[in-house]
Amino acid sequence: MTKKTLNLLEGLQILDLTDEKAVFCSKLLADLGAEVIKIERPGGDSSRWLGPFWKNSPHPERSLSFWYNNSSKLGITLNLEVKEGQEIFRQLVNKTDVIIETFPPEYAKKLKLDYQSLVEINQRLILASITGFGQTGPYRQYKSCDIVASATGGQMYICGAPDTPPLKPYGEQSYFVASLFAAIGILVALRERHQSGKGQHIDISLQEAVAATLGHVFTRYFYDGAVSQRQGYYDRDGSFCLLPCQDGYIFLTIDREWDILVNLLDNEGMAEDLKDNRWQDSQYRRQHFDHVVEMLTRWTKRHTRAQLFLLGQLMRLPWAPVNSLPEMVNSIQLSERNYFVPVEHPELASSEGQGKRRPSRPLPNKGGSLGGPPLPGGGPHPPNPISVEGREGREVGDKPLRYHYPGVPYVMTGKYMMRRAPLIGEHNTQIYQERLGLSSEDLKRLKANKVI
Amino acid sequence: MNKEALQGIRILDFTWLLAGPYATRTLADFGAEVIKVQSEKTASGAEDNTTGYFNTWNRGKLSITLNMSHPQARNIVLKLVKISDVVIENFTPRVMPNWGLSYNKLAEVKPDIIMLSMSAMGQTGPWRDFAALGHTIQAFSGITYLTSFPYKIAPPSPGNDGGQTGQILPLGLGYAYADPVAGLFAVFTVLAALEYRDKMGQGQHIDISEYEAFCSSLGVAILDHTVNDNIASPQGNNPGRSQAAPYGCYRCQGDDRWCVIALSTEEEWQAFCQVLRYPAWSKEERFSNFSARKRHVPELDKLIEEWTIKHTPEEVMGLLQEAGISAGVVENVKDLANDPQLIARKFFLQIEHPVLGKSVSDNTPIKLSRTPARIRGAAPLLGQDNDYVYRGLLGMSEEEVSRYIGEGVIC
Repeated sequence: MTKKTLNLLEGLQILDLTDEKAVFCSKLLADLGAEVIKIERPGGDSSRWLGPFWKNSPHPERSLSFWYNNSSKLGITLNLEVKEGQEIFRQLVNKTDVIIETFPPEYAKKLKLDYQSLVEINQRLILASITGFGQTGPYRQYKSCDIVASATGGQMYICGAPDTPPLKPYGEQSYFVASLFAAIGILVALRERHQSGKGQHIDISLQEAVAATLGHVFTRYFYDGAVSQRQGYYDRDGSFCLLPCQDGYIFLTIDREWDILVNLLDNEGMAEDLKDNRWQDSQYRRQHFDHVVEMLTRWTKRHTRAQLFLLGQLMRLPWAPVNSLPEMVNSIQLSERNYFVPVEHPELASSEGQGKRRPSRPLPNKGGSLGGPPLPGGGPHPPNPISVEGREGREVGDKPLRYHYPGVPYVMTGKYMMRRAPLIGEHNTQIYQERLGLSSEDLKRLKANKVI
Repeated sequence: MNKEALQGIRILDFTWLLAGPYATRTLADFGAEVIKVQSEKTASGAEDNTTGYFNTWNRGKLSITLNMSHPQARNIVLKLVKISDVVIENFTPRVMPNWGLSYNKLAEVKPDIIMLSMSAMGQTGPWRDFAALGHTIQAFSGITYLTSFPYKIAPPSPGNDGGQTGQILPLGLGYAYADPVAGLFAVFTVLAALEYRDKMGQGQHIDISEYEAFCSSLGVAILDHTVNDNIASPQGNNPGRSQAAPYGCYRCQGDDRWCVIALSTEEEWQAFCQVLRYPAWSKEERFSNFSARKRHVPELDKLIEEWTIKHTPEEVMGLLQEAGISAGVVENVKDLANDPQLIARKFFLQIEHPVLGKSVSDNTPIKLSRTPARIRGAAPLLGQDNDYVYRGLLGMSEEEVSRYIGEGVIC
């Protein structure tokens, strides 16, 4: 029986006024099939100048960060700082379900983009505002960016080593989690709107988004008074460590699996005094952790990451190689699950690029390639025991101008999309003429007046 | 009073540890009825109802006991599935099918049921059965390697000469960040599936891989590799792709006290010099414009630190923010608990637990104006809602319940 499938969020209309702080939020919704119209200032959003760039050459249509974060969206240009632009915007507001914005609260008020002004136009409107510190409180006007959110949200203090300064996690993690929280808030508000017919305002603070994803840090503090410290290579509680191997580092857990670990060392005649009874006591191990690390390191350095990782997984221990980014991209698990999806970039001239590069299939296992076959003993699993409808199969053809994007990290029924990010003003005609009924003369005039 | 946003949504919750309970907690915060399935046989460690951990991740949920290893448990679960909207689990992929509770089996009794399965590697693929913690996922994803300083640092132990070989040592994140991230994707997809169900009348099986969820936080670096063949490397606290100087983490007055500062415009530089009262060096040629400052980052940072070290990070943040410059205290958890902004926004809440007493917890950062989260209270005690669920919802008689208890099914 084939059932009809639609995009998961078919029909949901979103206006996207975000900068880099929450551009991923509207991407999340767009990839699920919501119609997201990204509104850029005439000439293009400043985030188009964020690197890295296609072929490493800066250009507003070549920002990979723009590509990734704006996939599946439509794009129009509109000057919100002039009256005519604001009037057009009001017409769009009237027809939309959701607006996502990242303006400083006062600026939004000045442009009448605050919730009070917008709800007068459309009382079903759901407005999501994402700012550094939120819409209220003494810091609401303070400026922020990823490193400030990482610091004030408590993330940086516990990353790094005891002898290094605090360290910001790689990437822009505060924007990432704030976007996730905002997207959840939007869907929660949408469900509520089905009942009440009314929209509402969602207020997301980067600082809180970071603080809300600190795992056990608050629990340890509020129940045990423990202030989590930077621990770097290993956990001072003695539960895990990062140790050097022949070809990099391995993540090992060492507490609950102590006996197994000692056996593994002993098999190679390397357990020495760790076989003594006193090391059975986890308290004792914690007190003499340097010795534990030294002994384990002697052992790990005789092996490759792949050897240790497979050994650990064979014993059902949650060990992992400390992968570089290409190693992750080439992992067999991601490719078997079609995590990477081909995205067409037809406007890039074929003479300019091969457009190839999909994550290469892992090489056959040559004595421990990390992308190698499944666990010894685990046996290969039948592919895709559950439906992967919606996740496109990998396209193998080497057609030019198609790049492999990280896809959506879930498998669901219903279609999702992955279309390249819009070009500057790409959908002006579609939105302004077809949606708002403006004439081509209107468009010409608006263009001449630098409104669009 | 407004109804709660997710009122009327019933969730059968088989989750444990962090990622899964974090997801169902978020749904409970907004009014979903979350029934956590536990057993006296397994409620220990992270699943011991009277610990702070459990109370943190399971607030506002209901708890029933059901011994899943008993053959009769399955039928009771199917009865519960019939009256639920969503089933969420984060076991390894073999567990639910082994209990005869695969999605297909659930859909037989409730065609539009939404089942979410979240596991380290997803339900398919050669690594599907891998064991993983949040840290494991982080190591796999590349973020452990990438979160470090772009130069070698002192070796961590006598047995480790990584520093001497000139390798960059991976530092990684000091906490299990991948777990809440996966939990957030779970909430997001469940809500999307509910939208879809209401529109199309269809349920579905959602398959979330924690690994993939976390990789999506590194999307730009991945694309830079698949498109350009570039290979991301550790950046320390350098601004990376954003153009900024001065930028970084500066030592302040006190023990292990730091403040981050991030300037991106000339206007901000002028304001910055004013806050520092125009020291002589600020007028030097080598700092006169952005590209010059960018070329002299180490000297510039050293001079700035001579100023920050004389102030507490709170002073630095206050002075700079009042002048319109991005800056922030590097807060430890104690700082967070006393942060005036977090307190003003009620980021912390007090919950009364029958055994643990009064305790503090972090609130949801999702602030809805009209139907805000309403935390129903502490985490449940083990099986405290057996009566409500078995007799109330399933309509079992007292005798029936007693029989199940006697036979070791409800326990």
